[in-house]
Amino acid sequence: MPTTVREYTGSIRDTVKSFWHGLSITLSYLVRRPITVQYPDRTTLPVRDMLPPRYRGFLEVDASICTGCQACERACPISCIQISLEKDPQNPKQRVVTQFDIDEAKCMFCGLCVEPCPTGSIQHTREFEGSQADLRNLVIRWSDPLHPFPVYKVDKAAEYLPRVELGTLVRAKLAARAWDAPGPRFLPPEPPAAPAAPAAGDATPAKP
Amino acid sequence: MEKLILRRVDQNNEEMILNFGPQHPSTHGVINFIVQTDGEVITRAVPDVGYLHRSLEKIGESTGWHGYMPYTDRIDYVAAMFPNEGYATAVERLTGIEVPRRAQYLRAISGELCRIASHLISVGTMAMDIGAFTPMLHGVRERETINDLIEALCGARLTYNYHRIGGVAFDLPEGWRDRTLAFLDHFDRFLVEFDRLITFNEIYIRRLANVAVIPGPMAVDYGLVGPNLRGSGVDWDVRRDLPYGAYSDFEFSIPVGQGMFGTVGDSFDRYFCRVREMGESSKIVRQALEKLPDGEIMAPKVQRNLKVEAGEALSRVESARGEMAFYVVADGTNKAYRIRARTGSFTAMGIIEPLSRGLMVADLVALIASLDVVAPEIDR
Ligand code: SF4
Ligand code: SF4
Repeated sequence: MPTTVREYTGSIRDTVKSFWHGLSITLSYLVRRPITVQYPDRTTLPVRDMLPPRYRGFLEVDASICTGCQACERACPISCIQISLEKDPQNPKQRVVTQFDIDEAKCMFCGLCVEPCPTGSIQHTREFEGSQADLRNLVIRWSDPLHPFPVYKVDKAAEYLPRVELGTLVRAKLAARAWDAPGPRFLPPEPPAAPAAPAAGDATPAKP
Repeated sequence: MEKLILRRVDQNNEEMILNFGPQHPSTHGVINFIVQTDGEVITRAVPDVGYLHRSLEKIGESTGWHGYMPYTDRIDYVAAMFPNEGYATAVERLTGIEVPRRAQYLRAISGELCRIASHLISVGTMAMDIGAFTPMLHGVRERETINDLIEALCGARLTYNYHRIGGVAFDLPEGWRDRTLAFLDHFDRFLVEFDRLITFNEIYIRRLANVAVIPGPMAVDYGLVGPNLRGSGVDWDVRRDLPYGAYSDFEFSIPVGQGMFGTVGDSFDRYFCRVREMGESSKIVRQALEKLPDGEIMAPKVQRNLKVEAGEALSRVESARGEMAFYVVADGTNKAYRIRARTGSFTAMGIIEPLSRGLMVADLVALIASLDVVAPEIDR
């Protein structure tokens, strides 16, 4: 507490001085270029192309090189990947993946499932704009009982594994679904009853 | 506590009981303070925590050893590298996994960048709580660059999940080193500007000096850690005194509160410690980038389904909010028997009640802000 008039006026002087001191810095920003950009339509590139390559966005599975080993399913701490394998009825030697669901609504984008994948089939993409009115629509089904895909046999001699360009598959899946599309009646663990196909429920998950 | 709430119903004295929070912007998250005031003067303020409890310690008993890592991010989401590091270090001590040197350096680099980011939020919100809005925006602007750097390093901006048991997940991307060095050059200039902008502002100093003084012995008694402890003049930093990881290789000083404008241990000292620590962190990152050894970033042969022999281990790391300890107990299976996290914010809540006696209502905000508590770290 100031006790004398001199201290009192001195305090006022100090206040005004440091006030202008701080304000001069603030004012200097008036003439600098702003660093903020309005999202989404004022950016020079689409935002997904400006993200670093390691960005952990929506997961994408390339069915053509997935070996069905279920390593990703086991690595996920919150079990948001669901994989079922079955024998192909036409060719008993060939196993097919009848269910490969990733619940992107539950996923915390931690990246633990990407690391154990032997072929790099499951990868994070730079896609992140996928809002849906119905939460269940965020379950992305990479295989379903009607359209199973055969497991991939790793070609030991191959130099590299052909993988489609990262992000194209998940982008197509997201684009195919309107944001306000009604959600499915069942969540992935209960496959929707398909009249022609055998029920996926009686498939025993094969040991890798 | 119950009595306090009951007295609100039949009060016949001059005192009021107010709920400050849980959704008050200056409580830094969902914390409730039950404040008993006599006009402007607080008779006592009792923190009521638990609004953000997510059973993170219990979850550790059901996920595997590796699967718990993303959960540690959520213990302190403003500085997620440190819980990552603490948990990884504890499990490595338990299993005897040797972390490669390069991984230890990468841990130090990412951790120190994260400390800068966390302190920027801390000093920015502190200025905002006091009534100066601009420093907050300046801090967030610099933090944005750090977020971009960390995003390029590990793919996420907030919940990094960068550390793994036995190393780190990614090596430095191309060009990252130069970008970081360029940022640090800019950041050192920014710190000077920041000091001019707010730290040595006369109004700000007078607002904080001599407010909520914590003497050194009291800080030790109440278990304060990190900048709160050092602000009270106690020279203790786990990075220097119990070196872990690569910290023994770096030269840095530990800023300690000196009572520059008031008493040792006042709110300004705690604030000023954080500002100085950012400069020290910048020095550590520079040294680490310079000395960065080549080599592996993961220990060889860490099992995917880790089974740990029965035993227990404790790790202590210096988080942005002070010493963070992880205590893990294994019982020989692939899951933890018990995981315990000791965090600085929780103990800091204990000191609010004794300190709040006789404070003004507006100074309570200064006290909470200067302790830099983060709600998820209190409740876990
Ligand atoms: S990113 Fe994490 S949470 Fe998401 S599916 Fe993979 S392991 Fe599970
Ligand atoms: S190959 Fe990859 S994507 Fe396919 S099941 Fe194995 S880990 Fe999952």
